[in-house]
Amino acid sequence: MRKVLLSATALATALASTLALANDKLVQLSQSEENWVMTGKNYNANNFSKATQINDKNVKQLRPAWTFSTGVLNGHEGTPLVVNGTMYIHSPFPNLTFALDLANPTRIKWMDKPKQNAAARAVACCDVVNRGLAYWPGDGKVPALIFKTQLDGHIVALNAETGETYWKLENSDIRVGSTLTIAPYVVKDYVIVGSSGAELGVRGYLTAYDVKTGEQKWRAYATGPDEELRLAKDFNSANPHYGQFGLGLKTWEGEAWKIGGGTNWGWYAFDPATDLIYFGSGNPAPWNETMRPGDNKWTMTIWGRNVDTGMAKFGYQKTPHDEWDYAGVNVMMLSEQTDKAGKKRKLLTHPDRNGIIYTLDRENGDLISADKLDDTVNWVKSVDLKTGLPLRDPEFATRMDHNGRDICPSAMGYHNQGHDSYNPDKQLFFLGINHICMDWEPFMLPYRAGQFFVGATLNMYPGPKGDRQNYEGLGQIKAYNSITGEYKWDKMERFAVWGGTLATAGNLVFYGTLDGFIKARNADTGDLLWKFKLPSGVIGHPMTYTHKGTQYVAIFYGVGGWPGIGLVQDLEDPTAGLGAVGAFKKLANYTQMGGGIMVFSLDGKGPYDDINLGEYASN
Amino acid sequence: MFLRVFHRFFRAGVCAGGLALASLPAAAAPESLRICASEIEAPYSYKDGSGFENRIAEIVARQMGRKADFVWSPRAAIYLVRDGLDKNECDVVMGLDSGDERVLTTRPYYRAGYVFVTRADRDLSIDTWNDPRLKQMNSIAMGYASSAEAMIKKIGKYEDNANYVYSLTDFKSRRNQYIRVDPARMVNEVAQGKADLAIAFAPEVARYVKSSTVPLKMQRVPADDTGSGEPIPFQFDQSMAVRKNDRALLDALNAALAAAAPQIQKVLSDEGIPVVPAAS
Repeated sequence: MRKVLLSATALATALASTLALANDKLVQLSQSEENWVMTGKNYNANNFSKATQINDKNVKQLRPAWTFSTGVLNGHEGTPLVVNGTMYIHSPFPNLTFALDLANPTRIKWMDKPKQNAAARAVACCDVVNRGLAYWPGDGKVPALIFKTQLDGHIVALNAETGETYWKLENSDIRVGSTLTIAPYVVKDYVIVGSSGAELGVRGYLTAYDVKTGEQKWRAYATGPDEELRLAKDFNSANPHYGQFGLGLKTWEGEAWKIGGGTNWGWYAFDPATDLIYFGSGNPAPWNETMRPGDNKWTMTIWGRNVDTGMAKFGYQKTPHDEWDYAGVNVMMLSEQTDKAGKKRKLLTHPDRNGIIYTLDRENGDLISADKLDDTVNWVKSVDLKTGLPLRDPEFATRMDHNGRDICPSAMGYHNQGHDSYNPDKQLFFLGINHICMDWEPFMLPYRAGQFFVGATLNMYPGPKGDRQNYEGLGQIKAYNSITGEYKWDKMERFAVWGGTLATAGNLVFYGTLDGFIKARNADTGDLLWKFKLPSGVIGHPMTYTHKGTQYVAIFYGVGGWPGIGLVQDLEDPTAGLGAVGAFKKLANYTQMGGGIMVFSLDGKGPYDDINLGEYASN
Repeated sequence: MFLRVFHRFFRAGVCAGGLALASLPAAAAPESLRICASEIEAPYSYKDGSGFENRIAEIVARQMGRKADFVWSPRAAIYLVRDGLDKNECDVVMGLDSGDERVLTTRPYYRAGYVFVTRADRDLSIDTWNDPRLKQMNSIAMGYASSAEAMIKKIGKYEDNANYVYSLTDFKSRRNQYIRVDPARMVNEVAQGKADLAIAFAPEVARYVKSSTVPLKMQRVPADDTGSGEPIPFQFDQSMAVRKNDRALLDALNAALAAAAPQIQKVLSDEGIPVVPAAS
């Protein structure tokens, strides 16, 4: 029974030995259910495992097999990696990295504990999270490497076997307010990394480095002149109405593009057939929209960029001139499906913070569908699929002469950084949703000598389907079909489903909740099949791997991030954290800070079934 | 930018805290004068009473035969009207621009302007915004959303200089947060040669310029703003302010200010503030 998946491993190993490109090696590794080599499981970023040992029939037998504490008390986003029998675990600032031997997790295999400028903590906007690691399999000359980002703006390559630093470089300068929270991303022999700090006027950029040397291969900006945006000659030629050239300057007043934001700190996907990497740029800066007239291109944009050159083939701006802080960096999930006209298409699906889930043709950027994540989304009536433009409802705008009431979604978005999943067998996306709305009351305070401050009082609370008296019902979990636009099922949750989901061929969907449960639901019906109360709330997503014939499910616990900011920093003013403190004021009744992973298997089967494993042996 | 934002906002009648003022006069005991004061607004106001406007408030209260009763707020002074005066927690705010539409303001008790602060040994004498040396500078200290910032935007220096200004507040996230650039730090940056120049309202920096061990120079900011759009003002009348329905208090303050003018002048001159003759 434990040998069920051995043949798959053998196959993967055999193939790997004959491949030239490290990239192909990574693809092969990602196809084995023994590995979880990147945050989204594979380049489709679908968080989908074909493993079926744990399934809807037996999931209620899941029990802890072993656990590990990172020793850090802050929000733990993302998910660990598993490669060739080793688990790689990351932590929030101070950004520790641990390697554990899955056969015997007793002794830490190696640990990386960087020294960082503590000033980085003050610069980070919303807790000191980190979203994960990346793996490059080595080429015979250069060893396999683990890549990490540090809050102080460094990117580090570690020897995957020993944990020794292979190279380290500064991608973002903490002295200019630029931090890193993103998980790096490996494609071919490049490691790709984004940027954070739009609030401070950091001009967003994406950079590709040579995995072996750290040499910069290209860097593409989100605003500014076309050369620096790196627009291909045929940029948006399939959809000229999205806009083409000169707009990174023209859609800003004066030189405001220089400090215009559009950083990217979310997730990536890659298609080896198109050679394009897909990601989203974030919100424009400054935060207050009054100060930046124009469409503010190309913030809030879904990008398709050639991975070798960084040149953009398409860019679709979802929220021109953002007024809500709907940073567009969320997950991009790739699928191949037959559209309504019966045509097989290569698709990209992106649940945006603005409450719309977009599906594009990922070969040319055509907008195929733009559905509401929930029927309570109100800032936009609909998205015109011909023009790509949102048809706004001015009642729910945030302009200065208007008190916005019950704007849905809130600034936190109906979907935030959670890494969701897609089950290709069922053609269903499993979406973790924030069901949160807000009041936006602008104010303008004059000071003396002509100085002034323009701000807004934000109050956030459960959406219309939640319990507004008790501040619960702040989240949902939903199964979505991007072709029909229909939701097969949806369930309410007490708090936002912040971290994302895992789908498996065992007809299961796993996810963690802020109040500290890991749950499994039936993928067809949404029925709750299993749950376990974790030491602390969850803002990351679960993963699964098979080791020595046993399938495991692992998940980070460690409440924090934006929804947990009040709990982490002990804040009480409900409008603090842009209103998150008020929305999540009940969270502390359910969970407290923590930080670590828990690993589950059927009946808790695992390495410690051998009672002598890890025992002290005297000579 | 300020005027555009200001007018757009107030025309629409949306105002922080609302303009729905309490109809009853303040319930302060007649012998005390309740002064709204920030604990953290040096050199204007500080919790130990060392702010020069704390002193002026005491002088005015004494002139009125009343006791200065400081109602201290731990927040920045920018919140005093909304969170103190409008809520009847205190009755007088010091140092608003004359004519602030939210309140009744007294006759100005002084007028001052923005200044360039430079090191004396640099011998930088800048008397026009067209000075080519301004174009070369990338570390100009100034307050957020000030007249200095508006002018720096107008001459196209804002974006290249923004990062330096953010450094003055340690890159604290400014997302919907009021953050004040510490005037002592601005002056110190100039003294240490880290800033080419600071542009600030003279009363806000005079104390630190005066006490600097490195000799510094304050020079009046030129008013030769000939660019397009609304002209940017660099000189401001400073008034005390009361609620709009508190005219009797306003009259009493005006009388006291006139009578105490010499003592107020002394405070300003001790502070080292180069005052400007009244506009009219």
